[in-house]
Amino acid sequence: MYARKDRKDDDDSAQGGNKWSGERSSVLQEARVFNKSPLDPKKCSQVLTKLLYLLNQGEKLSAAEATDTFFAMTRLFQSSDVMLRRLVYLGIKELASTANDVIIVTSSLTKDMTGKEQLYRAPAIRALCKIADAGTLQAVERYMKQAIVDKNGSVASGALVSCLHLLNQGCADIVRRWPNEVQEALNSDDAMVQYHALGLLYQIRMNDKLAVSKLISKYTKYNVKSPYALCLLIKLTCKMIEDEGYGTDCPMFNFVESCLRHKNEMVVYEAAHCIVNMKSTGPSEAGRAVAVLQLFLSSPKAMLRFAAVRTLNRVACNHPKIVMSCNIDLEQLISGTNRSIATLAITTLLKTASNESSVERLMKQIESFMTEISDEFKVVVVESIQSLCEKFPNKQGTMMGFLAKMLREDGGFEYKKAIVDTIIDIIHSNEDKMEIGLGHLCEFIEDCEHTSLAVKILSLLATKGPKTKNPSKYVRFIYNRLILENAQVRAASVSALAQIGSECPNLTNNVIVLLERSLMDEDDEVRDRAAYYLKILQKGNTDLFTQLTLSIHGLESALCEYLKSDMSVPFDASQITYEPPVKQAKPAAPLAVPEKKISPGKNVYQEEVLEVPEFAQLGNVFRTMPPIELTEPETEYVVKVVKHIFGEHVVLQFNCTNTVNDQLLENVSVEPVAMNGGWKAVHTIPIKKLGYQETASCFVCFQQPDLLDGAYNSGFTNTLKFTVKDCDPTTGEPDDNDGYPDEYVLEVFEVSLSDFIQKVANVDFVNSWEELGPENELEDTFVLSAYSSLQQAIEKIQDFLGMHACERSDQVPEGKQTHVLILAGTFVNGGRILVRARLAHDPTMTQGVTMNMTVRSNDESLPELILTSLA
Amino acid sequence: MGLLDRLVVFLKIKKRQASVLVVGLDNSGKSTILNHFKPDEQKSIEIVPTIGFSVETFKIKNLNLTAFDMSGQGRYRNLWEHYYQDAQGIIFVIDSTDALRMVVVKDELELLLQHKDIKNRSVPILFFANKMDLRDALSSVKVSHALGLDSLCTKSWHICSSNAVTGEGVREGLEWLSEQIQLNLSNN
Ligand SMILES: Nc1nc2c(ncn2[C@@H]2O[C@H](COP(=O)(O)OP(=O)(O)O)[C@@H](O)[C@H]2O)c(=O)[nH]1
Repeated sequence: MYARKDRKDDDDSAQGGNKWSGERSSVLQEARVFNKSPLDPKKCSQVLTKLLYLLNQGEKLSAAEATDTFFAMTRLFQSSDVMLRRLVYLGIKELASTANDVIIVTSSLTKDMTGKEQLYRAPAIRALCKIADAGTLQAVERYMKQAIVDKNGSVASGALVSCLHLLNQGCADIVRRWPNEVQEALNSDDAMVQYHALGLLYQIRMNDKLAVSKLISKYTKYNVKSPYALCLLIKLTCKMIEDEGYGTDCPMFNFVESCLRHKNEMVVYEAAHCIVNMKSTGPSEAGRAVAVLQLFLSSPKAMLRFAAVRTLNRVACNHPKIVMSCNIDLEQLISGTNRSIATLAITTLLKTASNESSVERLMKQIESFMTEISDEFKVVVVESIQSLCEKFPNKQGTMMGFLAKMLREDGGFEYKKAIVDTIIDIIHSNEDKMEIGLGHLCEFIEDCEHTSLAVKILSLLATKGPKTKNPSKYVRFIYNRLILENAQVRAASVSALAQIGSECPNLTNNVIVLLERSLMDEDDEVRDRAAYYLKILQKGNTDLFTQLTLSIHGLESALCEYLKSDMSVPFDASQITYEPPVKQAKPAAPLAVPEKKISPGKNVYQEEVLEVPEFAQLGNVFRTMPPIELTEPETEYVVKVVKHIFGEHVVLQFNCTNTVNDQLLENVSVEPVAMNGGWKAVHTIPIKKLGYQETASCFVCFQQPDLLDGAYNSGFTNTLKFTVKDCDPTTGEPDDNDGYPDEYVLEVFEVSLSDFIQKVANVDFVNSWEELGPENELEDTFVLSAYSSLQQAIEKIQDFLGMHACERSDQVPEGKQTHVLILAGTFVNGGRILVRARLAHDPTMTQGVTMNMTVRSNDESLPELILTSLA
Repeated sequence: MGLLDRLVVFLKIKKRQASVLVVGLDNSGKSTILNHFKPDEQKSIEIVPTIGFSVETFKIKNLNLTAFDMSGQGRYRNLWEHYYQDAQGIIFVIDSTDALRMVVVKDELELLLQHKDIKNRSVPILFFANKMDLRDALSSVKVSHALGLDSLCTKSWHICSSNAVTGEGVREGLEWLSEQIQLNLSNN
C-alpha cells in the first residue's frame, strides 16, 4: 500500500515538471532550517521532502555536503512530529552511504525501534540496518532478535527484510546467528512475515545445496499458509528441480503441480507460470498448466487475464501446440477493451499461427488499434512480426508494408528502433524486398529525430545502394540529409556519399561535386571527412573503403605512441597490424543470403578483454563464452574463467575476487596447464594488487593449436598463484614485510569444439545447402546408445556442436519416431558449416538413437573435423 | 487550536524553548542524569552505553529543554562539535572519582571552548562533579581547580556536586542553567 502511495507521489511531482531540478544548492541552503531552534516541523518536512526528491532524481552530494546535511537532519530527532520523524528515517537511508559518521544516530534509532510509538518501529529498524556495521549490529543484536519475532507484523517484516540487506553488507555472520528467531517468524500468522522469513532463510542457506533441499522438502510438506510465501516456495522448488535435473517425476514437482489446485489465484498462476517455463517440462505437464492459464483468460479480473496471456505469449514458441489449444479464448480477448491484453493475445496467436491466411487476418486486426497501445506493446508486435518473417518468408512483403506504416506513425526511440531493425533484417535476408525496404527507410530519415537511427540507415544505404538498379536515387536522399541535418548525421552522410561514389564509377564525379560543398561546413568532423574522401576519390583510389580492415585498437595505440614521440617523422600507418580478413568470420564466398550471427551481444567481459592493449592486435573476438566458476562458493578466493576465442588465439580471462579481509594479494596470476600438448601459452598478464573484496582479471593468451587436426579439445588444470601480504582488516593497510608466495588449486575446465563454432540464424537452409553443393560433403552413421528419446539426442548434439537449429528443427513433434535436424554455423576460420542429421528412435527399445549425419562446408577440412569429433 | 491558544504559543511558549548539549567522557553519568527528568513510565532501569546521541525533552522552571545526550566514548567525541552551533547551553558531566582521566577532561573542555561555534557566543556551561557519593570522589572545588575553571572568565559557568543515582544536586544545577538561558533569551 505504501508502495502505491509513493508511486502516486512520484507522478505528482513529475507532472509538476522538474520544479526543483537545478535547485540543489538552494535546497542544501534551505536545509539550514534543521538547525533553527525552536524547530518548525512543517517547514522541515517540506525541505526534507525536496531533498529526498533531489536524491531520488539521481542528484549526487559530495561527502562534505552529505555529512553536513546529515548532521543537521539528526537534530530533527528532537521533534515529536510523526511525519517528520518518518521522513528523517528516509533521509538517513538515502544519505547513509555518502555521509560520514552516520553511526551517530544508532542510539536514537534503537530507542525508536523499541519504543511505544508503533509507527516508528519498522522504519527505524530499516534505517538502523542501513547504517549498521558489524560492530554496531553486535551492540543492537538483542533488539534485532526481539524485533524478528515481534507481534507487530510490520516490525517483524521490517527486521527480516533488513536482515536480507545485512547479508550483503558484511554482516552475514551475525545474521546467521539468528536462525531460531527466523524459524519462529516463519510460523507467524502474518502472510507478509511468513514470506519474508522464508526469503531470509533461503538467502542464509543459499550456498549450501543440502540445506536448501532440506528447507524446500520440509516446507513443501508443511502447510504454508501465506500465499506470498507459497509463491516463493514454488519458485525455489522449480529452480532446484531445474538445477539438479530432477525432472518431473519427483515429489517436489508433485508439490508444484498440486499448487495448480490451490484456492488462491496468485499461487495457481505462479505454479502454472513456473511449470511452463521449466525446461524439463514435457507436453503433458505443460498441458495441465496451460489449462489453468486458459481458465484465467476468461476471468473477469483484467489482471489475471493479463498475467495469463503474457505467460502464454512468452512460451508460445516453446510449446506452440499446447498454446494453440487456447486459440479460441485468445481470439475472444482481441475484441476486449483492454488493449494491452488484446495486443498480447494477437501476438501470441501470430507466434503460433500455422498458415498464412490467419496471419493476414490477425495483422489486419492488430492494425486497427495500433494507435491505441503504448510503445512497450508496439515493440512486442514488432518482435512478433520479426519472427513471422523468419517463419513465412512469403509474407515479408505484407509485413514490410505494415512496418512502413508503423514507421510513419508517432512513437518513441525503442519502438522505432525495433521497426528499423526488422526492416533491415528483411533487407538482408530477401534480395527482392531490398529496394522497397530501402525506400521506406529513406522516407523515414527524411523526418527522423533519432540521430543514431539516421546514422545507421545512412550506412546501410551506402552498402546496399550501389547494389540497386538506380544508386543515384540514394545519392539524392543522402544529399538532402547533408543539407538539413545536425553535424553527426551530416558526417555520416559524407561517408555514405563517398562510399557510393567509390563503388559506382558513373556517379563518382557527381559525388565529388557534392562533397566539395561540404568543405565549408561549420563542423570540423564533417569538413575533415569531406576533405579526406575528396582526396581519395579525386585520386581515383577507390579501394580504400573496402580495405579498412586495420585493427582500430592497433591504430589507436600506434597513434598514442606517435603523439608521445617528437613527431619529427610522419606517421606511418603501414606499421599498424591489419586484421586478416578471415578473422571477421566472413563467409569465404559472397552469399546470396547474408546470414545473421547469433551472439549474445557484447558482454562486459568482452569489453574488458578488448580494453587490454596487449590483445589489441589479436583482431576481433569471434566468441566470448559465459563465465565458468572455478571455485566453490564461499571459498577464500573466488575465480571464474571466461574464454574469449579470437581468430588465431584463445584468451582466458580469470576473474578473481579476494574475500579474505586481512590479506592483500599481489602479482596474482592463474597458471592453466593444458592436458593436450598442442596448446602453448604465449602471453600472461597478472593482477598487480587485489585487496579485500576487490575483483579484477588476469589473462593468459594461448596460440590456437591446429584446430583442423582435432587438437582443440583439452581440459585445463589451473593453479592460482600470488604473493600474500597480511594487512590490517579495518584499514586494509599491509604490513611492512614482503609477504610470502602462495598457491591455490582451482577446478578444471575444458575448451571444446563448440567454443570455435558460432551459431548462424536466418539461413535459408535449403538454398544454402544447394549452393554449397556436394563438393565438400561427408556422411556417416552413428548409434547414440546413451539417449532414450529423439529430443534428448537433439539437445546433446546441439550442445556439442554449438550450432543453430534452423527452421525450429530442434523441436520434435510428440510421438514421432524419425526426425531431421538441420544446423548452421560458422567455424572460427570463417568456414561455413551446414549439418543435416536424420535421427531415428525405435520406441520399443528404451535406449539408443540412430543418426545419419551429412556435413557440407566451403572448407574441405571441416566436414571431417565435425564427424570425427562425434565419433 | 483556538485563536487564543495560538496567541499564547506565539507570545510565550515560543521563547521558552531551548536546546542544551550534554557532554562528558564515557561513564561519567550523563544518561543517568537525564534519566531523572523522564516521566516515570519511560525511565530506563538499566542504562546502556549511548552510541552516537539520544534526545530527551523535559521542563525546568518553565523552560522546555531539549537535551542532546552525546556519547562520550573516544570515537564519538569529535562528533560533538556538529551540535555546538545551536546549543543554548552546555552540561558538562565529570566523573569526580576518575582522577586519572581528569587531564583528558581538561583537553576536551579546552577544545570545546576554543571551537568557533562556542568561542564567540554567550553559552552558559553547567559542570556536574558527579558521583559525589563515592568515597574517593574529589570535591567540586578540587575538580574546578583541576580543570582550571578559575581562569575561565569568558563564559558564565557553574559547578555543582551531584549524585546522579539519587538525583541529589541535579535539579539545582539545571535550575541555574535554565535561568541563564532565559536571561540570554530575553536579552536577544
Ligand atoms: N555511584 C554513582 N554511580 C553513578 C553516578 N552517576 C552515574 N553512575 C553510574 O555510572 C555508570 C555510567 O553512567 P552513564 O549515565 O551511562 O554514563 P554516560 O556514559 O556518561 O552516559 C552507570 O553504571 C551509572 O549507574 C553517581 O552519581 N554515583
